[in-house]
Amino acid sequence: MAASTKSPARPAARIERALRRAFHSDNTTGGEDTVKIRVCAGTTCNASGRAALRKAIDDELVRRGLHDKVKVVETGCHGLCQEGPIVVVHPRGIFYPRLKPRDIATIIETSVVGADVVERLLYRDPVTGTPIAGEKEIPFYAGQQRVVRAINGLIDPTNIDDYIARGGYRPLAKVLSAGDPEGVINEVEKSGLRGRGGAGFPTGKKWRFCRANPGERKYVICNGDEGDPGAFMDRAVLEDNPHSVIEGMIIAAFAIGSGVAPVEGYLYVRHEYPLAVERLRHALAQARERGLLGENILDSGFHFDIRINQGAGAFVCGESTALTASIEGRRGMPRGKHIRTVAHGLFGQPTNLNNVESYATVPWIIEHGADALAAMGTATSKGTKIFALTGKVRNTGLVEVPMGATLRHVIFDIGGGMLPGHEFKAVQLGGPSGGCLPAEYLDTEIDFESLTSLGSMMGSGGMVVVDDSTCMVDFAKFFLTFTAEESCGKCVPCRVGTQRMLEILERITSGEGTLDDLDLLERLSDDVMEGSLCQLGGSAPNPVLTTLRYFRDEYTAHVVDKRCPAKVCRPLIRYTVNRHNCTGCYACTIACPTHAITGERKQVQKINQKLCIKCDTCRQVCNFDAIDVETGVLASLAGGRN
Amino acid sequence: MGTNAKGKLKVAGPSMYEVLQGIDFERRELIGKPKGKGLFDLVLDEHGKERCYACTLCERSCPVDCIEIDYCPEHPELPFDVEAERAAAAAAQPEIDMARFDRVAAVLREGSGLIESLHTTQEAYGWLPRRALEEIAAELKLPFSRIYGVATFYSQFRLEPVGKHVISVCMGTACHVAGAPLVAEAFSQELEVAVGETTPDALFTLQTVNCVGACALAPAVRIGEDETLGRMTPTAARKLVRKLKREDA
Repeated sequence: MAASTKSPARPAARIERALRRAFHSDNTTGGEDTVKIRVCAGTTCNASGRAALRKAIDDELVRRGLHDKVKVVETGCHGLCQEGPIVVVHPRGIFYPRLKPRDIATIIETSVVGADVVERLLYRDPVTGTPIAGEKEIPFYAGQQRVVRAINGLIDPTNIDDYIARGGYRPLAKVLSAGDPEGVINEVEKSGLRGRGGAGFPTGKKWRFCRANPGERKYVICNGDEGDPGAFMDRAVLEDNPHSVIEGMIIAAFAIGSGVAPVEGYLYVRHEYPLAVERLRHALAQARERGLLGENILDSGFHFDIRINQGAGAFVCGESTALTASIEGRRGMPRGKHIRTVAHGLFGQPTNLNNVESYATVPWIIEHGADALAAMGTATSKGTKIFALTGKVRNTGLVEVPMGATLRHVIFDIGGGMLPGHEFKAVQLGGPSGGCLPAEYLDTEIDFESLTSLGSMMGSGGMVVVDDSTCMVDFAKFFLTFTAEESCGKCVPCRVGTQRMLEILERITSGEGTLDDLDLLERLSDDVMEGSLCQLGGSAPNPVLTTLRYFRDEYTAHVVDKRCPAKVCRPLIRYTVNRHNCTGCYACTIACPTHAITGERKQVQKINQKLCIKCDTCRQVCNFDAIDVETGVLASLAGGRN
Repeated sequence: MGTNAKGKLKVAGPSMYEVLQGIDFERRELIGKPKGKGLFDLVLDEHGKERCYACTLCERSCPVDCIEIDYCPEHPELPFDVEAERAAAAAAQPEIDMARFDRVAAVLREGSGLIESLHTTQEAYGWLPRRALEEIAAELKLPFSRIYGVATFYSQFRLEPVGKHVISVCMGTACHVAGAPLVAEAFSQELEVAVGETTPDALFTLQTVNCVGACALAPAVRIGEDETLGRMTPTAARKLVRKLKREDA
């Protein structure tokens, strides 16, 4: 295979020519200095009405006869997802969030035909309220340092020439020209890149093992089964810049297999991400057409192709051995890893499995050198990490920061802090396998070790911020419900243990728990962690353990006082009407689904506790803050249908 | 499962009721979860003997006919005929449009693997009809139980037909914190079905999914495959159902 069939004379020049042939410069959407309109076409902006907006832009340009002069580019996710749909007008780079189709005419008039800004439509700083025109000046973006997501949001993800124009596939050409797989592995190892999927295994070391293990063929798998609820950075990378992942995989395949064995690639993507699958299919076809994938890549004599396999909604398939089982067409159940997948993986062959973000970082390392990545981060964790910042913060979206940034920087400087009127309570990192950290650890520098030492973990990068309206016991119960449901059932401690733990938590949240239950939870947690083959069971109790460690007072409030401090756990709360505020406007009376609210018009209303299902509808529709939620022994005795 | 069951059936025959009364069914929910999880084996009692009473319940209700009880020849008067029951169940399966199966066959020929072929089947029919699964088993030369086992393991696969509108309420962390359970409950009340069920008029299927990745718009709801709605509230959920019902009326 890689021992080229062609003459080895001047391979670099041949590869260089092939790359030039692959690039169709007239097909690019142009740089940021030209007149163009960027429309975000990420999943979130699509859900916020991107299609109607795009149509309005096209219509308006046609109406003004500008459709030949102004390019409209549908780009990948810009990251500030809650402000969607987002439009950026170049060359000035004016950022317009939350647009409606009716705003388009004004924007084109002022910012495209003219060169001014429409101040009323600009993004406003959530704290000071001052309008900000330039995308880069927005605090959400200014506080970030983007490596993997550097060009996401600038390029059209369905256009391979946009990617090549910004230096894409150049690292691949460099690697193929040098023809030194060991050199690539050395470079990745030197950069200190660690697996971004959660466990943080050194990527270079994994590649070295995989290369050294003998096999008839080798497999390179990209793990895009981002099952963590509350995490969507892999989806964004796959949707916004699919070629960066593909290029990373080709480089990995070259490093692992070249001169040793033929290599095949698999991209395992969640079925819940239809747009990512569609864009990847498109990108793979384009790369093949341009000679960047498949037979004889860039005329170098190296062969490698990638096929897409979709998941089918099983969280455990994010685990490497379960994932390979799933690709093989079996139930996704993990096996013991006394022999690792780098030795015995897919179809029994040496298999290298990395996360989406890890692969997307590789071309950057080759391009900028290992030292550039090693210069970022802490002593043990290098480079940057993307976090999906969600929950009760002002700015939600994707954040890329260097390792070693503090939680406070991410949540308060970039995320803009808590929503008005609420206080920070905890941040949950690492999804169902991670843990909750309280305010006192906000100044922790984020890296693999620091988080693990606090009982949490990096995970794939979900960062959910919760405020005083979230009950930590209920939160732990939520994660355990998830893991209990997603446990594959192979190991009894995980299958039965998580179920029993869930039952205990259910007891506690319904006010029937005892103090012994808290000890029992801790004991069971140890058993589940000890007795499980894979990391699903091995980390499932983390949310319970960390909440017990940092928020034990909430557990005791539920157990001893029969009180839910956050007023969430239904058996412990009751809804009442505030006599002083109620105007008898009938808003709640009409909205109540069980007709539990009665009363005369313009009189104080009354809630029948026996009928109340505590669905919170009345509180949400009330305009006068006249629905109170009570908690405590009295409320827990009130009954009602919980 | 075989030999141990032989002698037991004599005990079980007339006094089946008493036998069942004596069994501790308290923890049955562990293996009765809607999605098949784990590997099945007979439970042993405190003396190390199998607790199976050969009541034949499992044999008769196994969807893939992979449990066989070895009946003793001197006890032929079984109150039922397993073979006939199975034949009747097979005949009762709805017919499927084989023209739509061509796409699945194409995927199978490509060698894209079982899971991809199941996805294609679901795209073609909206669910996984048993007859299509049997075709796949024949095509791949695998036992039917293997195909069925895979189909029950993954939560995306549906073994029942779905309604015209599939409402998927996201239950990711961000959505949970933002009140997704209340939204799911509102849908459930308005549609008068539980999560995971289809309305009797086959218009709506309500289900929950683990994160659609639209966390910035929490709580999110997906209608069908393409449309995602963000920032849902229980009231908006009720209105949505009424609107969809009106459109179909």
